[in-house]
Amino acid sequence: MELSDLFSNLALGFSVAATPGNLFWCLMGALVGTAIGVLPGVGPVATMALLLPTTYYLPPEGALIMLAGIYYGAQYGGSTTAILINLPGESSSVVTVLDGYQMAKQGRAGAALAIAAIGSFFAGCVATVAIAVAAPPLTKVAQQFAPADYCSLMVLGLVFAIVLARGSVVKALGMVFLGMLLGLVGTDVNTGNLRYTFGISDLFDGIGFVPLVMGLFGMAEIMANMTNTERRDLVTSKVTGLMPTWEDLKTSAMSVLRGTILGGFLGILPGGGAVLASFSSYTLEKKLAKDPSRFGKGAIEGVAGPESANNAAAQTSFIPMLTLGIPSNAVMAMMIGGMMIHGIVPGPQVMTERPGLFWGMIASMWLGNLMLIVLNLPMIGLWVRMLMVPYRLMSIAILFFCCIGVYSLNNSANEVLFIAVFGILGYFFFKLDCEPAPLLLGFILGPLLEVYMRRAMLLSRGDAMVFIERPLSLSFLILAAILLTIVLLPNIRKAREVAFVE
Amino acid sequence: MRVKGSQDLAAGLMFVLVGALAIRIGADYPVGSWQRPGTGVLPLILAWCLIGVGAILTIKGMILHGPSLLEGQWAWRPVIMVTLAGIAFALLVDEGGLVAAMVVSMAICALGTPETRWKEFGYFTVIMCVVAVIMFIKGLGMPIKVFPWN
Amino acid sequence: MRRRHLIGAAGVTILGTGTARAQAQNWPDRPVKLIVPYAPGGASDLMARPWSEKLSQAFGQQFVIENRGGAGGMIGTEAAAKSPPDGYTLFFAPGATLSVLPILRKTPYDPVKSFSPIARVGDLVCGFVINPAVGPKTLHEVIAYAKQNPGKLAYGSAGLGTSSQLRIEMLKHRAKVDILHVPYRGSADALNDLLPNTVQMMNEINVLPHVKAGKLTLLNINYPTRHPDFPDAPTLTELGFPDSDVQIWYSMQAPAGTPRAIVDKLSAKMNEIAASEDMKARMRGINVVVPIQTPEQVAQHLVADIKATAELIRDANIRLE
Repeated sequence: MELSDLFSNLALGFSVAATPGNLFWCLMGALVGTAIGVLPGVGPVATMALLLPTTYYLPPEGALIMLAGIYYGAQYGGSTTAILINLPGESSSVVTVLDGYQMAKQGRAGAALAIAAIGSFFAGCVATVAIAVAAPPLTKVAQQFAPADYCSLMVLGLVFAIVLARGSVVKALGMVFLGMLLGLVGTDVNTGNLRYTFGISDLFDGIGFVPLVMGLFGMAEIMANMTNTERRDLVTSKVTGLMPTWEDLKTSAMSVLRGTILGGFLGILPGGGAVLASFSSYTLEKKLAKDPSRFGKGAIEGVAGPESANNAAAQTSFIPMLTLGIPSNAVMAMMIGGMMIHGIVPGPQVMTERPGLFWGMIASMWLGNLMLIVLNLPMIGLWVRMLMVPYRLMSIAILFFCCIGVYSLNNSANEVLFIAVFGILGYFFFKLDCEPAPLLLGFILGPLLEVYMRRAMLLSRGDAMVFIERPLSLSFLILAAILLTIVLLPNIRKAREVAFVE
Repeated sequence: MRVKGSQDLAAGLMFVLVGALAIRIGADYPVGSWQRPGTGVLPLILAWCLIGVGAILTIKGMILHGPSLLEGQWAWRPVIMVTLAGIAFALLVDEGGLVAAMVVSMAICALGTPETRWKEFGYFTVIMCVVAVIMFIKGLGMPIKVFPWN
Repeated sequence: MRRRHLIGAAGVTILGTGTARAQAQNWPDRPVKLIVPYAPGGASDLMARPWSEKLSQAFGQQFVIENRGGAGGMIGTEAAAKSPPDGYTLFFAPGATLSVLPILRKTPYDPVKSFSPIARVGDLVCGFVINPAVGPKTLHEVIAYAKQNPGKLAYGSAGLGTSSQLRIEMLKHRAKVDILHVPYRGSADALNDLLPNTVQMMNEINVLPHVKAGKLTLLNINYPTRHPDFPDAPTLTELGFPDSDVQIWYSMQAPAGTPRAIVDKLSAKMNEIAASEDMKARMRGINVVVPIQTPEQVAQHLVADIKATAELIRDANIRLE
């Protein structure tokens, strides 16, 4: 695309996005998105579903701009609870708890929140430019992926889940497998068979992500902290400034850049790409750091990288939707729904037949990011203040939000019972020093891996060699094998030493 | 034989147990063919992987020094109280309404720590109830009863 | 004694019919619910919206869409079947929930007995597409290719038990070819693999914009008449495969027992709307054609569709595995 074309397109986009009406809708979306991102439980998909019918009464550009605002607003908000109370709001913030919460415990919650917002903003800007400039070629790249490649990518993602563990690698391995198994509970979509449901009808659709997270992270956390003053030696006494220091910014700069690029690419892959963004970034940062042992103990790169990655992925995941009419995830499916409600048929013609809509959306993405950082940075002071609430009161508030969050998903009290069970399980894991993050990642990736594995085998007519024959798939598997070896090597050496000594 | 690292041992046994159960329960799931892998393929693979990892951990727990399971305190009181609080919420919210569910569950949870100051708890709970009703029932329009008699 | 009873009975009857007619005359005097049995934002919404708008305009009362998704459409259908038959809850019925689901699994409703048909609301008009990278450009060429290379071509469907799968099974059955059926999670998921030629064929409306853009080849139309935007694509009947369309059709249904007067009133208005140029143009824009039928004709169509679907499922041995 010629530079002059780019400018005229962007000019068109901004003229659409910057009308008072559309700016208002953008703001609404951002606000609602942030609010539900912070509230554990209700996520962007559920909110968009709730608001979808009402968007019918808005003009199409306004409707889509608002829906988009909800989506990336939720990304900004989800990291807040992850950092402050070890409760990831979204699957993309699971990794943020690893170092974000540790930073909060060291009195650096403000810095963590700020770097998350700043990194996300940077990523959002870059991603917006990427979409404007290179949407069609990027789509072509995404089209190179076949089911076998996705399957191997999921395997690589699972290895990342092990690598990012801060404790015992073997235990992390076990937790990943356990998580994958939990992810398979429910109905097998391909055949309709039920797996591990024990006749409980609430399990027919599988274990919900939200009850699992609320139980393992939320409930278990208050169980562990309520009487253990040592463990929760929180922020209350030592808030060391609300903003990141220059030192912090310098350290995070490269992480933000790397996260943006990594997330930007992964977001384009329809079907599971964006999920990987945050923890691929974390793994990358951990491997590249001069002192990897800092990770898991409050390394700011562990927040900066993943947060940038997941925001970049959130934006680039619009690309397949805008250029081909193919949604990369449930949120994009909602966006397409929003288009269809206005009678706009999604597909390659949207770019040419409705350039105002296309470029308007891209321009409003940037505007949305701007609004979000303006909204979020000042609120950091408010959030940090909230941490000063004594734990005896904080714990009951967290309990309530977990319960209502889960209940509000399907108006189901049974699901609240689940979090009680997962809470006990989570405490048990804590006592056994088994980290829940790898379990959650396994839970997310396991079912995806199965879908792609089956599709790959079906298409290859039963030939398992397809995973090695396709170059992309082979590269992912080799990378996974290398990483796994690097991570397991010290353990093997240790075991050999022990064997020799004894 | 002295167990050197009971934490690892326990974790290992847990994995082995889950893996074994998964195989036992999933024994009837069809495995399909190479071209159409069935319902039971991945669960079986995972179950064996779990048993493998569990075995390694169990051995490690027996021969290598590691943290003890009994180290530190087990927070029985919070665990029981928080769990009961969650159950209470679940049982009360549909019939008893949001306020009843909140008050009871939060009270049970507050019993989980000796730090609770009941007067403070009272004020806090009232405020939380008001905020919750405004946010969730009026604001988001959730179909929950406020009081048992609504 | 008897006479008084008879007079009483007659009086009640007259009053009753009078009430029914009065009901129909006043109907609707408050908003009407239109149940769509899928989550919001799906392809059904594309069709339901114009109808809800036009009906609201025509009757001066809001016809509100209520999305009730889940279990492949079963949940919303059940809810509609069990709604009070007072004319204030209507069902925007996808053919699949009435013709396909009850055959493949046990449904908590009877497709014929639980509902009173009112009118047709739209048929999706699309056909088989193939990725040009494969080579063949017409349906006959594709069939010849498939005969020479059994099992080589792959077809992506929106899922097990969908009309999408039924169409390829019908083609395989009638043309006696072996094409691999690959179930996906929705048509968008399948389209994603169609474009890079991972699967070669599909039959859904979401591919049509790509056909217009020249990326895919349209082989035929699964409908009695050709698609106005694609005048060169022949119908299956023209290509020598009569009765092979497996139509994707939607109808408006009311819970069984809804007063006849209301059914007639609504049906007449709907057919009037369907015949209007504005509606025809709007529907064409989303690849939909609206046949005009009386309630009896809709009922007959449903019965015939159920029979044909049952035959196909039996002959092609389609199961939810």
